[in-house]
Amino acid sequence: MSTIVGDWKKFICRACGVIYDEEFGDPDSGIAPGTRFDDIPDDWECPLCGVTKEDFALYEPGSATAVAPGEAPAVVPQKTGVVVVGGGTAGWTAVEALRALDADVPITMVTACEGDRYRKPELSIALSQGKSPELLVSERGRDCARRLKVRLLSNTYAVGLSPALHQLRTTAGTLHYTRLVLAQGARPAMPDALPPNLCWRINDLAMWSGVQRALAPRPARIAIVGAGLVGCELAEDFARSGHSITVLDVNERPLAALLPEQASQRVLESWANQGIRFMAARSVVSVTLADESVGAERIVQTQHGEALHVDLVLCATGLGTQSYLARVGGLEFKRGIAVNPLTLQTSAPDVYALGDCISIGGEPCRFIEPIAGQAEAIAHSSLGRDHAGYHHQPPVLRVKTRSLPIVMRGAPSRELAWEIVEHDEHQLSMAQYRNGNLVASLDVGQRKARLAA
Amino acid sequence: MQSELIPSDSSVEGWSDDEVMAGVAAIARGPLEAAASRIDAEGFYPLDIMAALGQAGALGVHLDRHGARFGLSIDAMTEASRACGATGFLMWAHDVCGLYMEQSGNPYLTGDRLDAHALGLTFGGTALSNPMKAFSGIEPMMLRATSTRGGYLINGTLPWVSHIGRGQYCGAIAAVRRDDGSISHEVMFILDCDERVELRHCPVFSGMEGTSTWGIKLTDYFVGEPQMIADPARPFIARIKPAFILLQVGMALGVAQGGIDSSLEVEPVLGHVNRFLHDRPDDLRAELEDASSQARRLAQTPYDGSKDYLLEVLDLRARGAELALRAAQASLLHQGARGYLMSAAPQRRIRESHFVAIVTPAIKHLRWEMARLCEEEFPA
Repeated sequence: MSTIVGDWKKFICRACGVIYDEEFGDPDSGIAPGTRFDDIPDDWECPLCGVTKEDFALYEPGSATAVAPGEAPAVVPQKTGVVVVGGGTAGWTAVEALRALDADVPITMVTACEGDRYRKPELSIALSQGKSPELLVSERGRDCARRLKVRLLSNTYAVGLSPALHQLRTTAGTLHYTRLVLAQGARPAMPDALPPNLCWRINDLAMWSGVQRALAPRPARIAIVGAGLVGCELAEDFARSGHSITVLDVNERPLAALLPEQASQRVLESWANQGIRFMAARSVVSVTLADESVGAERIVQTQHGEALHVDLVLCATGLGTQSYLARVGGLEFKRGIAVNPLTLQTSAPDVYALGDCISIGGEPCRFIEPIAGQAEAIAHSSLGRDHAGYHHQPPVLRVKTRSLPIVMRGAPSRELAWEIVEHDEHQLSMAQYRNGNLVASLDVGQRKARLAA
Repeated sequence: MQSELIPSDSSVEGWSDDEVMAGVAAIARGPLEAAASRIDAEGFYPLDIMAALGQAGALGVHLDRHGARFGLSIDAMTEASRACGATGFLMWAHDVCGLYMEQSGNPYLTGDRLDAHALGLTFGGTALSNPMKAFSGIEPMMLRATSTRGGYLINGTLPWVSHIGRGQYCGAIAAVRRDDGSISHEVMFILDCDERVELRHCPVFSGMEGTSTWGIKLTDYFVGEPQMIADPARPFIARIKPAFILLQVGMALGVAQGGIDSSLEVEPVLGHVNRFLHDRPDDLRAELEDASSQARRLAQTPYDGSKDYLLEVLDLRARGAELALRAAQASLLHQGARGYLMSAAPQRRIRESHFVAIVTPAIKHLRWEMARLCEEEFPA
């Protein structure tokens, strides 16, 4: 035998895929193992489908797609368009910015809610104005989607992200994107002592509506846990609506993280006038349902053993960005989805983020004002248009407490002292200076002249 | 914590990671590939192959006693499912049955009985499709228990339970009834399919006939301490649920890989026309690799009890099923008529992929449950 053993070739039937392997032959048809394909009689037939020897071709199994170089796939790619996650102010603002630049780019919005549009800051003052959810909605999500030519996937959650594949997985199926915009917002961060099935919080219209329904029948005793921005605004709004309010905070005074002591003092005086009770330096150790037969009464227990009997508990202990999607997608996350401060791009290619879910330099900035600029930068960058980029500036901060409006401008620092600029019984103006330059100003209350005007 | 076990000593000679994978690969590409068509269509129940897989370690390495090597367990199931999806399913059923026994902490179930199970000397599956759906609120519990001296009496029927037979066993759950007929809690136990159990033939399925799937009818079947896995069952199920679902991913990834193999097989002769198709092998391979790396990461902490972990396991399981469907579909389109022959793998794999997509938890259940997990809870 002159055959080089081992140099066996394979031939494939073009019709049915049967492989003739020279090593094994085709004993059922009388072809002995070791018979070269060339030596097979011409009248031999494919053992499976019966075609002739001519219909076989040399078979060299490949491990990679063997399309000739330059021969691109002949089908349309499956990933097209922009996918936006989140149907709040940030999500819609991004959609509007994109649509303004490009009338045709396909846009899909994935949102856990209905996508109805409303002004979120209004939620802090809506109860005392007698608003209803219907009055607060400026445009239905489905109408807005039609107007802006958006495919709206409402009541849908994003559950998986693979940036390398440009793939977003949702509870409505898998989506492919050319660009992804994350506008998922933040969620109330609840201490373990406050069970979510017993404590309300207000961070969107649906939550506000739940609280409004719960408070509709009669004046209620309400415990608000947390005297930050949201806690202070809601305390006043609920008190104006005729409810009896107690605010608890771990700090000695309201808005302690934001305001100097003199300003907090003004807030406390204003609260005293409105009958809002403040319990300082209290941490809540438990919230439980009182005897079920009595109704919905809850008992709020503090670390000092005090027990408050109330009809409704509202948790206002701050917000946090959910890290799930960022973690699954391998995005850099630092108290929020980390973004490039100019382009709002995340650490993954073609993935952008804006609004409450992001952090810039490790700092979240959860206000409405910066969103428009962020959306502009994202729209330009993601559509490949020239743009100077986003410039982050601390927004003007307004605490919507009608009896004592508070406005802060600039970038206050914890290290700098607040100096009184002017004050009287109605208002207090303070400022922070660094090397003689103004860095932040604060106005608490209203000037008498303006009141009289 | 179990999740922190380091597989320093695999305790059985020949069960190192490499040895297990080499053994499984030899079985999958040899006898299993050869038997795949008979298993699928003719109802051949491959217990000889399952025994060989057991000897190779493929059915035991996920157990704490063998290093809780979930990644390896999934890889082994992937390799087998690549050749035969039905066998991958049998491995999963066998694996979770072993998991129930070990996690029960019941000395009757964790001693020699579990050793024999892990080695593939005895065989048992799982009857948790109905209870899993019942716990998620999708359907009512079909087995009922009443308390009796020293245990419970179980009554009821289950329509189809796989990888069982006379002399085999499976994990099962029954709802315990009070005297007034209300449900107090649930119990989980090993159901030994001895002469007390009525095994009923199932209607013919469109594929995967060799999974030894039977209807079960129980009449005053007594369960005592030696069979008890968990009483109450709910906390136990909550603890093992992510691991239960995660292990299934091996089936999905294996069927997907098999589909890619079949598409690649014809690339030398049909590549010039197949480029007019979607879901080309290179695209699917990139997706498979992405899903596999997610699986490897999740396999390191199978008993993580967090909501985020369960959500990600559900996401992986769902994408695995979608990928299996697409890869199987693509392989038939890539192979054309040759893949449509009754003896060809692509047509069989299409039915296997459909099974992956509808077996509990089905894609629709997974999405339903993910939506439920994502919802925020508010006062009533």
